[in-house]
Amino acid sequence: MTYKCSRCKRDVSLDEYGGVRCPYCGHRVLLKERSRDIKTVPVE
Amino acid sequence: MSEQYEVEFIERGDREATFLVRGVTPAFANGVRRAMLADVPTLSIDEVRVVENSSVMFDEQIGLRLGLVPLTTPRDEFSEGETVTLALDVEGPGTAYSGDLVSSDDLVSPAEENVPIIDLKEGQRLEIEADAVMDTGKEHAKHQGGVAVGYRHLQRIEVVGDNEAFEQDDPRIVRGVIEAEGELVPAESFGNDLTNRYEGKEVEVHDVPNAFVFDVETDGSMSVDDLVLAAVDSIGDRADELAAAVQL
Repeated sequence: MTYKCSRCKRDVSLDEYGGVRCPYCGHRVLLKERSRDIKTVPVE
Repeated sequence: MSEQYEVEFIERGDREATFLVRGVTPAFANGVRRAMLADVPTLSIDEVRVVENSSVMFDEQIGLRLGLVPLTTPRDEFSEGETVTLALDVEGPGTAYSGDLVSSDDLVSPAEENVPIIDLKEGQRLEIEADAVMDTGKEHAKHQGGVAVGYRHLQRIEVVGDNEAFEQDDPRIVRGVIEAEGELVPAESFGNDLTNRYEGKEVEVHDVPNAFVFDVETDGSMSVDDLVLAAVDSIGDRADELAAAVQL
């Protein structure tokens, strides 16, 4: 499960000690990426 | 319904036709119209599996748009509930069109190639797999084969006399097809105004009993001929079903 840093756009994986912070640039805003699973949508 | 009826085409195209039916009751004419709208099954996308959607629209919205794309449905090849799989894979920049849908069945393809689905910018991608299912218009409007189906009475025009001299003719608007001097004339040919055709004449307009002019347009999933025949067949099937159920 990876996030994406909103400032440096790099993939970030969180560990339990680092807190919510990008290890490359220190930015605290991380974006959650869409899951790669195939999603089934019924057409209404 | 009476035993004797006649069908006469005024205009006959693949997707659009105008025809006159004589000798049917108003109830039957309306039954045919309703069957064309609601009881003729067509294929439409009903389930979408989204592999990748990095476009600006939600999966559900794209699913809805795909559902409304008419798919060619050959007559008597599929029964209700049968499915056909289609796939779409488009990468931006560019627009994903209905023509980009690839079908697993050669008989089934989008009826129109140029229905835009979504505009994709650089780096955006839409990859989906979709199941088209055979169902009727009463289940969902996307399954409607006939999109503009209607009928009106055939109108007979009779010249009863001359207008008084110097009298201003008021426009006399008629629509559809008229019967004049034993001939069928589309009202568009004289600008829908009887005063253009009968200048200075006094005319009377009467509905011809049990004669109906149908205007049928399909969404491209099948030809007008197939649509009308399938609609009439569905009425016949239901009449048989009813007869068997009440054991006449």
